[in-house]
Amino acid sequence: MKVTITRENFQKGLSAVAATIPTRTTLPVLSNILVETVEGGVRVRGTDLDISVSVETPAEVESQGAITVPAKKVADIARELPDAPVEFRSEGGRVSLVCGKAKFKLHSLPSDEYPSFPEVPFSEGWRLKGGELQKMSARTSFAVSSEETRPVLNGVLWQLRDAEMRMVATNGHRLAKMAVKLETAAAGDEDLIVPPKALQQVEKLFASDAELEIARSESHLGFRTEKVEVYTRLIEGPYPNYEQVLPKDNDKECKADREQLAAALRRVAIVASDQTHRVRLAFAPERLSLGVQTPDLGEAEDELPVEYVGSPLEIGFNANYLLEVLRYIGTEEVKITLAAPERPATFEPAAGDEDYVCLVMPLRLME
Amino acid sequence: MQRRIHILPDHIANQIAAGEVVERPASAVKELIENALDARARRIEIDIRNGGKTELRVSDDGHGMVRDDALLAIDRHATSKISEASDLRAISTLGFRGEALPSIAAISKFELETAPAEGGASGGSGTRIRINGGRVVAVDEIARQPGTTVTVRSLFFNVPARAKFLRSAAAESRAVSETTIALALANLSASFRLRSNDRELLDLPRTGDLAARIESIWGPELASTLIPIDYTADGVRVAGLVQRPADARSGSRRVYQLVNGRPFVDRFTVRAAEEAYRTTIPHGHRPALFLYLELPPDEVDVNVHPTKAEVRFRNKMKLESTITEAVRSGLEGLASAPGLGRFAGPSSQLVSARRGARQGREGAAGSASTAAGQMALFVPSEVPAREAMVDSEETADEPSSFHAGGMWQLHNTYLLAETRSGVIIVDQHSAHERVLFERAMRDYDRGSATSQRLLFPITLRLSPTEMAAVDELQTILRQVGFELEPFGSNTVIIHAVPNPHPHFDAERCFTEMVDELATGSPLVDSARNQHERVAKSFACKAAIKAGQPLSEIEMEELFDQLFAAELPSHDVHGRPTILRLSMDELARRFGRT
Repeated sequence: MKVTITRENFQKGLSAVAATIPTRTTLPVLSNILVETVEGGVRVRGTDLDISVSVETPAEVESQGAITVPAKKVADIARELPDAPVEFRSEGGRVSLVCGKAKFKLHSLPSDEYPSFPEVPFSEGWRLKGGELQKMSARTSFAVSSEETRPVLNGVLWQLRDAEMRMVATNGHRLAKMAVKLETAAAGDEDLIVPPKALQQVEKLFASDAELEIARSESHLGFRTEKVEVYTRLIEGPYPNYEQVLPKDNDKECKADREQLAAALRRVAIVASDQTHRVRLAFAPERLSLGVQTPDLGEAEDELPVEYVGSPLEIGFNANYLLEVLRYIGTEEVKITLAAPERPATFEPAAGDEDYVCLVMPLRLME
Repeated sequence: MQRRIHILPDHIANQIAAGEVVERPASAVKELIENALDARARRIEIDIRNGGKTELRVSDDGHGMVRDDALLAIDRHATSKISEASDLRAISTLGFRGEALPSIAAISKFELETAPAEGGASGGSGTRIRINGGRVVAVDEIARQPGTTVTVRSLFFNVPARAKFLRSAAAESRAVSETTIALALANLSASFRLRSNDRELLDLPRTGDLAARIESIWGPELASTLIPIDYTADGVRVAGLVQRPADARSGSRRVYQLVNGRPFVDRFTVRAAEEAYRTTIPHGHRPALFLYLELPPDEVDVNVHPTKAEVRFRNKMKLESTITEAVRSGLEGLASAPGLGRFAGPSSQLVSARRGARQGREGAAGSASTAAGQMALFVPSEVPAREAMVDSEETADEPSSFHAGGMWQLHNTYLLAETRSGVIIVDQHSAHERVLFERAMRDYDRGSATSQRLLFPITLRLSPTEMAAVDELQTILRQVGFELEPFGSNTVIIHAVPNPHPHFDAERCFTEMVDELATGSPLVDSARNQHERVAKSFACKAAIKAGQPLSEIEMEELFDQLFAAELPSHDVHGRPTILRLSMDELARRFGRT
């Protein structure tokens, strides 16, 4: 195999797959990337066996072939190369790289040792704008669980329905849910549990106006455009019934300035226990008071003007959960609904037609 | 009719009194060493033959006696140490009853050689008195060095009943050795040498350092496991050395207690000291203790028994709580964490070096400054001390806060931090266990446990025994943060859970806890009550696990929490949470000494 490629294209291809290369692996070939010739260019592939990425980049192909090279070393070299065409050639078990007067020879592993990519039937898939997917995943995947014992909660639930799709993520203490209308109906109802890391790759590698082909097999999900492919292993369900916990009878409603509320929370949370981050919120007509009392440390209080409808209510929360949720509410004002001190609170944009809601479960406040 | 009642002749009265003071060779040795010490001896040599039954001799270089004093000394109740009854209430010498010499002389073949220090260095004006069964046989003038030598042969030769109860030579020799050790621990500024049948058993040079004395008695193995304590409250000072919890073992251990320089035996004060070790050592393990109590003389009565082994304290309860507090304050410091290698940091300095003792409970809070030469802690940090209540003198040694730059996680299990004089290694699981245990115990009192309500309540099926345990402990489980609802047929629903760290797995923690609480384990069975039982189990099951990667912030938080704990160096199983590696040890290992 022999190809010539611009330094820029070479580097672009390498950095696209870099994030999927595992830093530590028991399978040595996984720390390599696969480079193979295609019509008018090369395809660079990387995988950690859970997520696989492939990117095509233009090149002059002199002779066809495929080879694997150590990902980290080649990326480091590409970064330091002078701005000149790179000649990339396989010679026996080695790869030679020539760029201007700079020459490198690197040991490589045969391409047939490289794991094959999952087979996903794109002919039975559906199509979606990159931006739609990105908007949903960016605003829900923060809520996944980092605790490893309930793997379903480590993933984002992606539901495809007739004219709508939704993403939901939760760690059991708080939940984020977003839905968008679909112009073109999907192939059928699907419930997919997707690792957030794969969604990050999708956010990063596809342009927001690109039209993605998406399809699933029994265990994998694939996204592709003409040049870029992303595959991920799916997490096996079932996902907990989140609809059941979405409160329908929250009869108290508060509208607050999102920035003011976040600022007040950050202030009082300094004195909160670094284990529980507990803050007390007292809702009353026109006034929301925040308080923190931490034994051995001290107390803090703050207050902001709000619109509130309902009987006064005191409720405790983990300040970190609230701050996180507020970060993803896009509007100037946030709408909060509540029922009781032990019932979930919801947080939504106070304006616009976005279908986005976050749930936070309270902390028990001691009498 | 003949009169039946008559006064006993002196020599018989002396024999009876002797039986009270001297019951075996070791008690004679004790009396004689105490006399030597009261005579300000700096060198005391003890020689015994056949366990002291055949012969025992105690020589000193003390101030000696002139001839008339020597003759008086062998009369009963002759003493130089007190003169009025009021002196009894403030006794500062070891002996005072004036019974020792006549008693011993009454029941042995006794020889006293003495020369006063004032009589000129080379002597020449010494006195030798020989007594046989209480009767003076000879008084001679001799030449000898200043000081006194008492030789006692054929002890109990005229009290066959007593002689019969003497034990083997080896056992008696051990008793003499024990007696000598107890007095040697009380008097560091005198040298002691004990020989038995010309074989040297002890050779203890003068020293200023209790640890050095202990090392010359038992070797460095014991000495290196001890940490100093020094604590004063309400006029009572408790100093000495106590064993690191990690080094305490089951079985026999060394316990020596002194009050105002006088050895005594009292199991309640020992128990008070052990109380401080609660939760830091496994059930059944016993620490070595060297406790030096200093009380105003009128607070303690040593005149309870002729052998003075027992003493009475005016305010025993308060003394016991002071001892507990003193030992606990020693265990709070980082010095109580085991070290690696020989130079794990100086374990101790002289207890009697009267450094500024700390006053009262407040000063003791969270302090590590008890140790004189304690490993200087922690590189200075730009972050100000967390605990503002610790006064400035103590903050120098206090691990107030860490900057993550000097902290690493090893194999997702241990945390390594740079200190001023070396490094410490912290076991992340054990450390968090300690933090959670103390927090749970505090939360019971305050009712301040936090619990996070769950979006998806956990439903668990339990075995009947587990269900019974849950039923019984439901209120306490709620106090640590588990909100439960029994749901019939051995099922519970958990609505809210504690949230001790971001990687917490509530369901697994609860299942493991219920299993442990239902079936028991050495850990929970050592608990004093149900609250402690649940707290221990919770701490163990909820703590950050080994193998859990921690972010820099999490590491910092864990350190801050650990060093804000009362007993940071020990987890609830009795394992250490911290190991220390000093720069001195590193230097030794790399041959840089």
